[in-house]
Amino acid sequence: MENEEYVICTSKLTKKFGDFTALDNLDLKIRKGEVYGLLGPNGAGKTTTIRLLCGLVKYGSGEAFVLGSKIPDHSISDKIGYMPQETALYKGLSVKQNMEFFGEIYGLSKARIDERISELLKFIDLEKWKEELIINLSGGMKHRVSLACALIHEPELLFLDEPTVGVDPELRVTFWEYFNNLKQNNITILITTHYMDEAKHCDRIGFMKSGSLIAEGEPKEILKISGKTSLEDAFLEFSRQVKK
Amino acid sequence: MNLSRTLTVTKRVFKDVKNDKRTIALILIAPIFAMFVFGLAFSGNVEDVNTIIVNHDSGIILPNGENQSVSNKIISNLNTSVMNIEYMDSEDAAVQKVVDGKAYAVIIFPENFTGTIYETAITPSITGNSSGSNTEITIKDDESIVNIKNAIDGSVADAITTTMEDQGVNPPVKINSYPIYGQNAQFIDFVVPGIMGFIVYLLTTLLTLLAFVGERTSGTLERLLSTPLRESEMVGGYAIAFGIIGTIQAAFLLLVAVLVFKITVIGNVFLAFIVVALLAIVSQALGILLSNLAKTEGQAVQFVPFIILPVFLLSGVFWPIQAIPVWLRPLSYLVPPTYAVDACRAVLLKGWGLTKIWPDILALIVFAVLFLLLATLSLKRRKD
Repeated sequence: MENEEYVICTSKLTKKFGDFTALDNLDLKIRKGEVYGLLGPNGAGKTTTIRLLCGLVKYGSGEAFVLGSKIPDHSISDKIGYMPQETALYKGLSVKQNMEFFGEIYGLSKARIDERISELLKFIDLEKWKEELIINLSGGMKHRVSLACALIHEPELLFLDEPTVGVDPELRVTFWEYFNNLKQNNITILITTHYMDEAKHCDRIGFMKSGSLIAEGEPKEILKISGKTSLEDAFLEFSRQVKK
Repeated sequence: MNLSRTLTVTKRVFKDVKNDKRTIALILIAPIFAMFVFGLAFSGNVEDVNTIIVNHDSGIILPNGENQSVSNKIISNLNTSVMNIEYMDSEDAAVQKVVDGKAYAVIIFPENFTGTIYETAITPSITGNSSGSNTEITIKDDESIVNIKNAIDGSVADAITTTMEDQGVNPPVKINSYPIYGQNAQFIDFVVPGIMGFIVYLLTTLLTLLAFVGERTSGTLERLLSTPLRESEMVGGYAIAFGIIGTIQAAFLLLVAVLVFKITVIGNVFLAFIVVALLAIVSQALGILLSNLAKTEGQAVQFVPFIILPVFLLSGVFWPIQAIPVWLRPLSYLVPPTYAVDACRAVLLKGWGLTKIWPDILALIVFAVLFLLLATLSLKRRKD
């Protein structure tokens, strides 16, 4: 396997939920330090891909390697960060308490946790809200806290499932700047999104449909091949070709 | 299993509780409230029963000219806190009052009651339908409420015994009862250890069930399983938290029982708390297991009757296992609170120590290990 080069490497990965095929012979290869965007309609298998790579779902056939380990492998869990689609925070705890909790779970020192919390609160722009309970926050704020919890231990590999849903445009720009900064530190990011225009910030994107990749490449490259001016049109074009 | 991660989970549960006043209320006030409700219901004896006495006996005149009446002596020895005594001359009118629901019992002393006793030296007895013997006291009563009937019968029998002893007449056969355990124990003393086990079991199971359905629906459980946290650490963290919470609940409950209801505590309270903590650990694992079957909090609430009823009926909380039909008794030994209630009762009422209650403790440990393992496995199973 080309484990050295690829942080994520799957071959012929297949997952069925009953009769429904969520992943169909998926071959996905993501390099170190890459921001990779998975795009596609609901039910295309984006979330299943992420959950499977995080070791949360068993797969039927094929192979998957993450950070050089054949998954599921619990030993890589402290090197990955996962931000699920649902907010997945403790509603009864405050912003700070949630971040502390995840920091402690990852075994960070008390001092390091405090340091990370103040850095991340600045980044998600919720310093004033740090003592507020999650239950009292708006949807977009919760998403920001959730992102901060996934980043607290400075993971090598980040799985972000729709991180920008409900986040206002200004902050979305900040997010993407931050993601590109992380890249400088050789952090790899696998991100799913519904916003096609956002995908242009990715190094590479993959269009997913019915559990497999139908097109993959740099955003510019994809536009060129499809002959379209927007990624949305490009997706529709590829989708049409597959049907044929 | 990593202890610091386990304790992180424990700490989180406590922070969650601390932030939510309703949960604090449920945890602390519910046991106190339950103790008051059950305590008030069970500590009361039968009192103020309307009773009518029809006394046809006119006594005898002793040689010194004094009027002697055994019936009046018996009446004066009746327990007046149990009975509200009213006197009537007509037996029919008195019985009519019972028929009309205005009184529960008519106690009838026959004519020449005292005379016959002095002539024959026979001890008076109680009967339902008079055989005509002049030493029989007849009670015509409403027996539809067993507690009240027993209280009246008991009071009359006690009054007879006391009167006869005062007269220097000793019955030929007598029971002497010397308590080895439970001197002066009331029903409330018997019930308190049961309530303690029952409330801790109920609240712990319910709280963990709801907490875990929350962990599943909010996505936190799945998120945590992607971190270094292991399933066993998650279950262990909850077990420690609820073991402590259960002990605090038991302490509050016992405090009310001792201060307000004056129950007698002979044994080592801390041993009882250890038993309760074990029960809480079993219960929280049961809550986690049940959370597998519910997709929403609403569905989880539907389990409540199944959590309460079997334990209420089978575990000896309000009546002893010996009072459960023989064919049902094996089921009693399948519900963990049975052992906790039995052990707490033995510790608090009889002062038994570890050397005597170890079979109960062992059973609870076996249940705890089994349930904790199953709960851990049930979290792993979700990875399909």
